[in-house]
Amino acid sequence: MSSRKGRKDAARVVREHLARERRRKRTLWISIGAVAVLVVAGLIGWSALSSQGSREFTAPPGATGDGTGIVVGNGPVTIDIYEDYLCPACKQFEQTSGATIDKLINDGKVRVVYHPVAYLNRFSSTEYSTRASAASGCAAEGGEFHAFGKALFDKQPPENSAGLSNDELIDIGAEVGLNRDSFGACVRDGKFKPWTAHVSEEATRAKVTGTPTVLVNGQQVREWTPENITAAVEAAGR
Amino acid sequence: MNWKLLPWFGLAVRLGLAAVWLYAGASKVGDLAASGRAVHAYQVLPYDVSVVVGAVLPFVELALGVLLLLGLATRLVAGVSGALLVVFIAGIVSAWSRGLAIDCGCFGTGGQLPAGQSPSYFPEVLRDLGFLALAGFLLIWPRTAVSVDGALTGEPVEDEDE
Repeated sequence: MSSRKGRKDAARVVREHLARERRRKRTLWISIGAVAVLVVAGLIGWSALSSQGSREFTAPPGATGDGTGIVVGNGPVTIDIYEDYLCPACKQFEQTSGATIDKLINDGKVRVVYHPVAYLNRFSSTEYSTRASAASGCAAEGGEFHAFGKALFDKQPPENSAGLSNDELIDIGAEVGLNRDSFGACVRDGKFKPWTAHVSEEATRAKVTGTPTVLVNGQQVREWTPENITAAVEAAGR
Repeated sequence: MNWKLLPWFGLAVRLGLAAVWLYAGASKVGDLAASGRAVHAYQVLPYDVSVVVGAVLPFVELALGVLLLLGLATRLVAGVSGALLVVFIAGIVSAWSRGLAIDCGCFGTGGQLPAGQSPSYFPEVLRDLGFLALAGFLLIWPRTAVSVDGALTGEPVEDEDE
């Protein structure tokens, strides 16, 4: 009896050992499979990135030498303004400080570089930020960048909507005096979309992480009230 | 504690963490440029590295979510999840301690906050610690109910009885 029980025990030990071995192997293969899934996922992200990289862009007339913004005015102090046409805080900025900035431009005190970045594409179903910024490039081509930008903020669509259609953008352009045919063609072709990507990329590189961002001679004015901006310009001009 | 219920509790934890990763990945994957900007806003990595991390991360998050949903290699996936969450928490704490005013970008958005809006680092860290606890649970008890792991490897040998 005892020897039979012993054989049974031995057989069970062997069986358990083999089962454990099988499980160990399976677990190893499962782990390798899971790691492969994660690596492939990462590579998909990598390739999605490289497929959209290194675009050739043409900057619109009136742009800075590096093509990162449109220059308005020619005073000694430089103000950099980073805005997204869909950003509600940017509209607020234009309403509170727009007139002050226009006055500084007209008095010949400042040279403003507008950087129309497309940071908020995910807040419209039609990439309105990119389309609006590219359209502002078309407006620069027609010599009405500043007026067009103001009109876009006046008629700003809400976030999480479809934004304004290309036709509506063209209507706004026509209202500020742009040629409906050439401006319309430029907007429809998305001629300056690669430029918009360049503007947004360089703004990110310059550590502009939100909009609006206002720099006076490179120094950020965090609370962009008219008083603070005027004070910063006077301090920089001294 | 009733040990028979543990795999079912584990299932709930696993699906919870899966939902976190799937939502986190899905909220970023539509705008990879914005994802890269959110990473760059932490001002930890050079721009070109930030952009790569921002593009790779959403897909890895989605993959982690799918693996957890299936219950495949749960212990390994829980380990990777935990490691990622530790990195995220470290990032938020570092942004906090350097006085940056950014959105963590955990679920889309991200970047600098508008003037006047103060960051909510404390709740963000607490939330990530909660997720870390989920990952920790699965690291200790990876065998959950209704999992591919269970289907492929069967019941643990130790529980078999002659």
